Amino acid sequence: MVDSIDKAREEFFSEAQEIIETFSRNLLALDATISEGVKDPTLVNEAFRAVHTLKGLAGLFGAVAMGTLSHHLEDLLDELRLGRTELTRAVLDLLFGSIDVFGKILVAERAGSEAIPPGLDELVGRLRELGGSVAPEPGMVTEYELDPGMLAVLTEYEEHRLRSNLEQGLRLYRLHVKFDLATLDKALEEIKDRAKRHGEIITYLPTGESSSIETIELDLLMASHDDLSILIGALASERIIVEEIERKPQLPAAFSSRRHPPAVAESILSVPSGHPRLGEETADLALVSPDRSLRSLTQTVRVDIRKLDRLMNIVGELAIVRNVLSRIADRVRAEGQPQISSELLRVHRNFERRLTEMQDGILEVRMVPLGQVFERLSRVVRQISRELDKEIRFVITGSETEIDKLIVEELSDPLMHMIRNSIDHGIEDAAERARVGKPAAGTIALNAFQKGNHVVIEIEDDGRGIDESALMQKALRLGKIDLTDREQLSREEVLSLIFLPGVSTRERADDVSGRGVGMDVVKTNIGHLGGVIDVQSEPGIGTKMTITLPITLAIVSALLVKVGEQVFAIPLNSVSEALAFDGRGVRVVDGRELMGLRGQSLPLCRLARVFDLPEENPSGRKFVVVATVGTKRLGILVDYLIGQQDIVIKPLGKSLAQVRGFSGATELGDQNVGLVLDPAALVEEVLLSGESAREKGLRAHG
Amino acid sequence: MANLTRVERRGHLRRAAAAGPIREFLTFTLSVDLYAVELTTIREIVSPPPVTHVPRAAHDVLGVCSVRGVLVTVVDLRKRLRVAAPPASSRTRILLSKTGSGEVVGLLVDEVRQVIRLGAGEIEPVAAVLGGDISAHVLGIGRPGNDPIILLDLNSIIGA
Amino acid sequence: MDVPARAEAKSKMLRILLVEDSESMRAFVSACLDQGATQLGEVELIQAASGFDALRLLPRGRYDLVISDINMPDINGLELLNFIRANEKYRDLPVLLISTQSSEKDRQRGLALGATVFLAKPFSSEQLVAALRAALDGAS
Repeated sequence: MVDSIDKAREEFFSEAQEIIETFSRNLLALDATISEGVKDPTLVNEAFRAVHTLKGLAGLFGAVAMGTLSHHLEDLLDELRLGRTELTRAVLDLLFGSIDVFGKILVAERAGSEAIPPGLDELVGRLRELGGSVAPEPGMVTEYELDPGMLAVLTEYEEHRLRSNLEQGLRLYRLHVKFDLATLDKALEEIKDRAKRHGEIITYLPTGESSSIETIELDLLMASHDDLSILIGALASERIIVEEIERKPQLPAAFSSRRHPPAVAESILSVPSGHPRLGEETADLALVSPDRSLRSLTQTVRVDIRKLDRLMNIVGELAIVRNVLSRIADRVRAEGQPQISSELLRVHRNFERRLTEMQDGILEVRMVPLGQVFERLSRVVRQISRELDKEIRFVITGSETEIDKLIVEELSDPLMHMIRNSIDHGIEDAAERARVGKPAAGTIALNAFQKGNHVVIEIEDDGRGIDESALMQKALRLGKIDLTDREQLSREEVLSLIFLPGVSTRERADDVSGRGVGMDVVKTNIGHLGGVIDVQSEPGIGTKMTITLPITLAIVSALLVKVGEQVFAIPLNSVSEALAFDGRGVRVVDGRELMGLRGQSLPLCRLARVFDLPEENPSGRKFVVVATVGTKRLGILVDYLIGQQDIVIKPLGKSLAQVRGFSGATELGDQNVGLVLDPAALVEEVLLSGESAREKGLRAHG
Repeated sequence: MANLTRVERRGHLRRAAAAGPIREFLTFTLSVDLYAVELTTIREIVSPPPVTHVPRAAHDVLGVCSVRGVLVTVVDLRKRLRVAAPPASSRTRILLSKTGSGEVVGLLVDEVRQVIRLGAGEIEPVAAVLGGDISAHVLGIGRPGNDPIILLDLNSIIGA
Repeated sequence: MDVPARAEAKSKMLRILLVEDSESMRAFVSACLDQGATQLGEVELIQAASGFDALRLLPRGRYDLVISDINMPDINGLELLNFIRANEKYRDLPVLLISTQSSEKDRQRGLALGATVFLAKPFSSEQLVAALRAALDGAS
């Protein structure tokens, strides 16, 4: 059954990815401890464990490169946790290096390629140098012998943790706990939380006493610096009993005190084989019907985003069904059947309610916290700061802010480019910072929060700010603006020049960051996600970029309009109002049409002209849809307003990538497709300048 | 491939097994000529649903349409290959294929004919017999019978 | 297959409890069992993601065999085995422990506690099926 092996392999890739991410977070934490001069042995242990697990899985699934790398990392980490090698910055860098190589290996494995990723051999070579032999020295310092009974149920890994704790002089405790199976997870989490502040729980041993269906009894083995009274104060309760395990080896039944029925104590202490019985009878167990097969009880499910997309598609189709239902109801009423019509409308309302619930439910599943991408950025910041030799303090807030998973995936590149630009061009080098009285470490602050139907992400640095005159010079030189513009552009407009192609890249590629990635690419990418980007800057103080994104790409409310025979959808979150238009009060300034709206001028854009469509009745009655994007407004002229509708936006394929002005297409019912306008792109196109915009539009027309 | 109907091979198409593997091709007409693409590259054949024009798209892109909820970019194959484009008839069809980037592209053709099998020996490599852009997309000329069939490289056409 | 044999085969549906915290390992074992279907007959695989889940499932059903990884967080495989052997109800349950190649200590302790069979990682589906049969035969 090749199918199930393939599924298992897919699981393996997911799990390997997760483990690598955990390992990475672990390394970041280790990095912090080095800076703070603190020692945390559990971190190295966790790293060891992660790599060890990865090695096991890689072996199982035949991922040779991964297995090899894990094996050598494991050796090094073992040396580290045994204290035979010191954790220096250099060693940590090496460990960080392995994360990238793991990433490449994973990509290669997924693609089924046999190719060895570059850098693997070198990395393994350096690891071996540091790793050395891992055979434990026979004369390891142990103040006392561990009770064989205790050892009998510990894995080698746990025994090692126990010994290291003892070597550091910690005390051993046994926590006897009794939990209800129903609330087990919560109770466990709670006790882990509380115990964490006082020491380390090494293992959990279920006691044979209570094997009822309702409750579970466990002995927890814990190491702590604190003395008994403190632990009792912190942890003991009616369900938790705390006892100290005496150090002296003479007490044979150290781990199993009088609390256990002798039978269980026997089982722990009897080293050779044997299946000891329980002295006491266990409670009579009422068997649940055996044909109820209970599968894994874990709470979370890993979901393939494509399945969610399919579900979303179906919701979209149901939305169309719902619309048809409403139209039928109207027709029935028109044909003189008010009774049936109201019934239909009632059904329609019910349907609508349930559909919204389902839609919300699916959207909720698609939402993931931004922290996912922020964490990856931490690593990148560290890397870049080393490359460019600048000390950077990276502050993240709002990482629990949630956004559609698909958006998150596309965000990491633009964010990374912005941060790289910030570190490269924004943050001054140490000498200059000292000269202007700034702290040695440059700060980059990443903040995210939800604002209505949008998520806002801010990236702020305390660097030198954007040099406006240099920016203008460059734009002039590239022909993006002319001399008159130079006088007339507002500050905001000058800063926006960085979003023009070619302006924000270096003239000459330098060694470290090449030309840099243009902000125009970043802006386009953000645009594809339905978002906008803004820049603010103060010379000498810093620069702040603000990205505003829709919370979800999936379903949006839109206004359907018609130009000639063609239907378009305009996302409602960009629409502030729609009004009838009779052509009066329109002025033409600099080639652009403007109309007055409540005392302010509103630039107009005739969709028919912009898109070269047959216009119906050019001087007749039309409608203006006022689109607001950031601080800019644009009046979009259309022939008809059809109405509001929830739509599922589907992205246009790559072959249409060069077509500007649309953020996708949606199904309108009866297999008809309507294009979804991208108000931000339109605003930019029209407001940039009447002439050059049209030129651009024509060029793209190909 | 629910929509694919295979027509029986004609007698004269059955040849002695030529050297090399037998490949299956779907033949269709564009204007007056017979073309074919490898069967494995086609996912489905549909009757053209309403196609929405996409302003500013390339001249050979008819627009987009929806097939069971999936957005399809429709390319007029006659325009892409720069051959005459007769008006649509009831026999016009769209061949659906998927590019490497996951985009579903539909090719508009005048009429779908049948599936034929060709051995390597029945395919002539294309010398500069055909001029213009088309030669870049041609795999060869098939001659199972008398009439030549221009074998197209679908992936090259849709830019997979 | 004639009727009597079929009836026999039906009653021989194996219920196996798999205790393993790694999701891909669980998927792998499940796939191995699919491949070994001809030799094992019908198998119903019940999966537990932790020792705790195993403790919840054990009293609620009838199992013919337990497969458990040794190295799991919190309750490890040895502790689970200890619990099983100490319990009148399941103490004769065949237990297959999955260990890592390198840990001899883990295997010794497992043997001492009464593991039926050991399987070291990495293993193939053939090896798993052979180990399972050894465990089941030993138990009968």
